[in-house]
Amino acid sequence: MKIRTWRLMAGQGFRNVFRNRIMSLASISAIAAALFVLGLVLAMVLNFNNIISGLESKVEITVFLKDNVQSHEIEAMSRQLNDWEGIKEWKFVSRDEALENWREEWGEQKYLLDGYTAENNPLPDSFHITVENPDYVTEMVEKLRKLTKVEVVQYSKDVVDTITRIANATRILGLAVVVILIIMAMIIIHNTIRISVYSRRREINIMKYIGATDWYIRWPFIMEGISLGIMGAVIAGSLTAGIYYLLVQQVAESPMEGNILSLLQLLPLESIIYQIVGLFLLVGSVVGVIASVLSIRKHLRV
Amino acid sequence: MIQFKNVSMSYDNVTHALRNVNLTINSGEFVFVVGPSGAGKSTLIKLLLKEIEPTEGKLYVNNVDLSGIKPKEIPFYRRGIGVVFQDFRLLPDRTVYENVAFAMEIVEATRKEIRRQVPAILGMVGLSSKANSYPNQISGGEQQRTALARALVNNPSILIADEPTGNLDIRTAREIMKIINLIHRRGTTVIMATHARDIVDSMQKRVVTFDKGCIVSDEEKGEYSFED
Repeated sequence: MKIRTWRLMAGQGFRNVFRNRIMSLASISAIAAALFVLGLVLAMVLNFNNIISGLESKVEITVFLKDNVQSHEIEAMSRQLNDWEGIKEWKFVSRDEALENWREEWGEQKYLLDGYTAENNPLPDSFHITVENPDYVTEMVEKLRKLTKVEVVQYSKDVVDTITRIANATRILGLAVVVILIIMAMIIIHNTIRISVYSRRREINIMKYIGATDWYIRWPFIMEGISLGIMGAVIAGSLTAGIYYLLVQQVAESPMEGNILSLLQLLPLESIIYQIVGLFLLVGSVVGVIASVLSIRKHLRV
Repeated sequence: MIQFKNVSMSYDNVTHALRNVNLTINSGEFVFVVGPSGAGKSTLIKLLLKEIEPTEGKLYVNNVDLSGIKPKEIPFYRRGIGVVFQDFRLLPDRTVYENVAFAMEIVEATRKEIRRQVPAILGMVGLSSKANSYPNQISGGEQQRTALARALVNNPSILIADEPTGNLDIRTAREIMKIINLIHRRGTTVIMATHARDIVDSMQKRVVTFDKGCIVSDEEKGEYSFED
């Protein structure tokens, strides 16, 4: 088709949106709601992925020792660690230091820890090991676990695994909700276009007699569907961007120490919003196209 | 040339709209198709527009077997045929000019072609002064002239008119017939289904009379030969 014809059809589709205001509004809201939820899920998953990759690059292994370790045993372990390959650096933290660190972390609430003294300190001695390359971690952890005086070996992979599990659950659950919402939006758009087709059935009939091809008749309605989808995408995009922006600010302003939010290093808005809005526009248009193509079939028979 | 060869049409195998019709219409001919309601006139037109397929027999238009036209090709086939109806079928939200230009937009004519052709055809049907009026602002006769302009703007070789004067008074009907006759004299084959006795009688053209799906008479310079 010629460019002029395309323009004609895009204009017609766009005008149809306004001709049929109430149904269009319902369609746009439905698709915007579906995409908004999609945006939330996406923002969460992207952030989880970011946290995971951050943790993976920070491969620190913490080795907690058994309670009754003697100082010569600690020295022996230190020598051993010096011999092992793949260790970037290591640090020994005695149980007394650990208690002191704990107090510092708790800041003003440290009086709660006043009951703990050197005698009843619940914390163990520990080694903090940083590995040169994340690939060594698993191997290193295995070796450390075999040492006799080692109680527990903790490393970021545990956390990574947990977050991965949460991320996967979010993805699956979120996407299931999104799919349901998109199907609902599709049904509403489908109805909207059907009404639009129905109100123009005379025109379609005339077009058929004059010799318009089926695609010539279809395109304005497809454009209408695309317009609805894109308008929904724009609304959902603005909403997602706005809410995410506020959230990022909230996290940035809140006191980092001792706050659960300190675990969250949210991605800045700019780094995710283009992907999200791009996906919105794509999903919005595709939903619009599918819904409208399904609506037109019946009335094309003349 | 249009040729019906042993064409029968039944919608549900019980009602026979057409029974074994044989009819040849030469290029450039003017044919009235008459007969009581339900005689098969509308079916004939629907077959010609390939809205429906004959249950039996073959139908040729310009030496093309219509049964060989694929659904996708139907629009292109229809572009060779102009159609007007009793109820005009104009788009109410477009002006006279736009209604005619619409037919050219559909075949993707250039803007230049549209600007040249539409005023010319409006001039021919005598509507130059009404180009910017909307259908509800003009008379029935003017609406039908708009419909004629739209049917002709792409230069079809055949004009099908389904009771084009059915909604018009006698005087307006005669004006419309003048235009249709003019179109005919330019070489267009005209097939017109009608109930207008006085028009048929005064035009002195070929008249094909249908009754109960059969051709009961076919006369050159015929007359409206049955009682409604």
